[in-house]
Amino acid sequence: MRPFLLQVAAVTVINVKSIPQRFWLSLSTVVAIALVVVVLLSFLAMANGFQRTLASSGAEDVAIVLRGGSQAEINSTVSRAQVRLIEDGPGIARGSNGKPLVSAELYLIVDGLKRSSQTKANLPLRGIGQEGAAVRKGIRVVEGRMFSPGANEIVVGKALLREFQGFQIGQTVSFATSRWTVVGIFEAEGSVFESEIWADLPVVQSLFNRNNIFQTVRARLQSAADLETLKRFVDDDPRLKLDVKSEAAYFADQAAQTSDLIQKLGWPLAIAMALGALAGALNTMYSSVAARAVEIATLRAIGFGGFPAFVGTLVESLILAAFGGLIGAAATYLIFDGFSASTLGASFTQVVFSFALSPALIAQGVILALAVGLAGGLFPAIRAARMPIVAGLSST
Amino acid sequence: MNDFVLIGKNLFRRKLRAALMLVSILIAFLIFGVLAGFERAFSAGEDVAAADRLVVVNKINFTQPLPIAYFNRVRSIEGVRQATHFNWFGGYYQDPKNFLIVMAVEPETYMQVYDDQVDIPADARAAFVRERTGALVGETMLKKWGWKVGDRVPIMSNIFTQKSGSRTWDFTIVGTFTGRKPNVDTNFMVFQYQYFNETQNLGKDLIGWMALNTTSPSANERVAKAVDQMFANSFYETSTDTEKAFNKAFAAQLGNIALIVALVVGAAFATILMIVGNTMVMAVRERTREIGVLKTLGFSGGRILRLVLGESVLLALLGGLPGIALAALFAAAMETSVGNFIPGFAVTPGIALTAVALMLGFGLATGLIPAVNAMRLKIATALGRG
Repeated sequence: MRPFLLQVAAVTVINVKSIPQRFWLSLSTVVAIALVVVVLLSFLAMANGFQRTLASSGAEDVAIVLRGGSQAEINSTVSRAQVRLIEDGPGIARGSNGKPLVSAELYLIVDGLKRSSQTKANLPLRGIGQEGAAVRKGIRVVEGRMFSPGANEIVVGKALLREFQGFQIGQTVSFATSRWTVVGIFEAEGSVFESEIWADLPVVQSLFNRNNIFQTVRARLQSAADLETLKRFVDDDPRLKLDVKSEAAYFADQAAQTSDLIQKLGWPLAIAMALGALAGALNTMYSSVAARAVEIATLRAIGFGGFPAFVGTLVESLILAAFGGLIGAAATYLIFDGFSASTLGASFTQVVFSFALSPALIAQGVILALAVGLAGGLFPAIRAARMPIVAGLSST
Repeated sequence: MNDFVLIGKNLFRRKLRAALMLVSILIAFLIFGVLAGFERAFSAGEDVAAADRLVVVNKINFTQPLPIAYFNRVRSIEGVRQATHFNWFGGYYQDPKNFLIVMAVEPETYMQVYDDQVDIPADARAAFVRERTGALVGETMLKKWGWKVGDRVPIMSNIFTQKSGSRTWDFTIVGTFTGRKPNVDTNFMVFQYQYFNETQNLGKDLIGWMALNTTSPSANERVAKAVDQMFANSFYETSTDTEKAFNKAFAAQLGNIALIVALVVGAAFATILMIVGNTMVMAVRERTREIGVLKTLGFSGGRILRLVLGESVLLALLGGLPGIALAALFAAAMETSVGNFIPGFAVTPGIALTAVALMLGFGLATGLIPAVNAMRLKIATALGRG
């Protein structure tokens, strides 16, 4: 057994050492595989980043109440009477002042100018109640201050500021005839709320002529288990034809569509490109076997078996592929990780998100690369193992 | 034996190698064809936009409403030939997943303003104006759901409710229409504004947006200004733009699709450029001796250059043409399944022509270095090598 392994090792070393002789061809295989991995990983990082932004937006212990069947906040309407009933509902946490942590909200779409394209895009303007920030977790004003009740003031999410123009602190923003001053920038743990503009609910209601109209109610629950309690309470009251969901479930639904779509585009593209790269890898490896025909035949003549030749060729191919995979992953990480982009989310407004590469995604990229290397090395390796000694020696 | 036969023989002297290169080129052009078709579908709104059409929306955002009174005031502006108005209905059929594009319109003016895009038969036109609960359903939508003219279909809204509390509206399909141009999407339906306004309970006498035709594209700017000035400082200020600009901005909301497509296609082409380019260099180097022989026989350097370039261009065409054909087939097969999401997904003659130009360029680029090397080769060196 030991001599056999030594044979395998020796041939493998010879194979690997011969790579520089086919430098350009080998390099083209490595780069081709690297590009395949870049394409795959950038799509996966995009899908993952989008998903992460929405997933971090939803808390299990925050309930969101929408009009039955409305699916998205933008389509929902809730009356003042319904808001009152929810406020007195069971299972809702109370703030230090003893008031229930409930925020009735109005969700409107306003125009903003996207920095990258200089075109108008839909931005959410959310009128939030007094408890609006307290209902959500991790809201932090990082610059300036929160809007004052009753004033034409807005605070904007950090992500929105990054992608859209004209929302610096102190700037005046006009939505039709109403003028608003940006008084603060807030963070929300990277969630979708960072893509929003917030203002005081009564001011938004009056300036947008939506008096006494609400769209959604958010409530902080005493615990995640209280969702069922609140749901039952709403279902039992005929005045409340409303849907109650956990915020986590609401955003998970919204994330699924878009990130599925991105992944469904990314994988087929990467696989098609991988087939192209596979043709290159096969070419390189067949050339490698052809170039080393004499060498392989000589080794066979002095007593080496066919199997070491097989392994040597396969390992050479896998090494090239692994290099390609790692270079591709590194390039994707350097170019795209943290890259900020925005797209239209399920609420018909822009969601700002950052590409996020994760170890699990990198593993998928490297596996794809190795699969190309394996397939690209297999047939040439079989040829190397089966090459008749005489044919090899006479092939000069 | 003419040069073409020689080129063919050279190309296929190693069948496996030639086949592998053909496959990688085929895939690159398949990717190009599919993505170019996809991108074109995305910008279709821009392409079908009429030059003399303006869109009037609420200045805050196009989802904010305008009062119906604006409609008549806009119609009276000089330079406006025809105007109509729309309401987004948020429609779906049976299940919220079956999202439908449904709009409430003013029947007569709608058919006049969009006469350049949709072809509505005369009897359907008359019925649409007459029937209060009538709806015109585009051919694509009709086929997709297996509906027939005369059917009564229940359509639900995720925005509006009827005064009775129901979320379902029953429409009678009074006619269907087709697009006047191939890239006009007909996966939508329209019904009477009056019916909508009387039955829904969310704000009365409001419209979503207006579309108008100017007397000529040169009047666009003046009319747009006149409209916006008319409503300046009112509660509902307007923003008027050409249909083209509006559609473009809307498509841009999804992201920079054109850039993503360019990057992916670029990566695919870079991949095969390297693989095929390198292989060509290698293939020609193997033939050094033969090229020496050809030169000895009196082949000029220019002819050798043409032979090698001919080989790489032939390779590109043999791989690229089936690739683009496959892309066209793929797009045709996908049309029904992705039509709802990206209408007008197809490989057009324009895309195919671009692809052929790319194949020629690609063939020349991969063949250039080996061709020049072969041309410059000295007979003595060539015969001495190997």
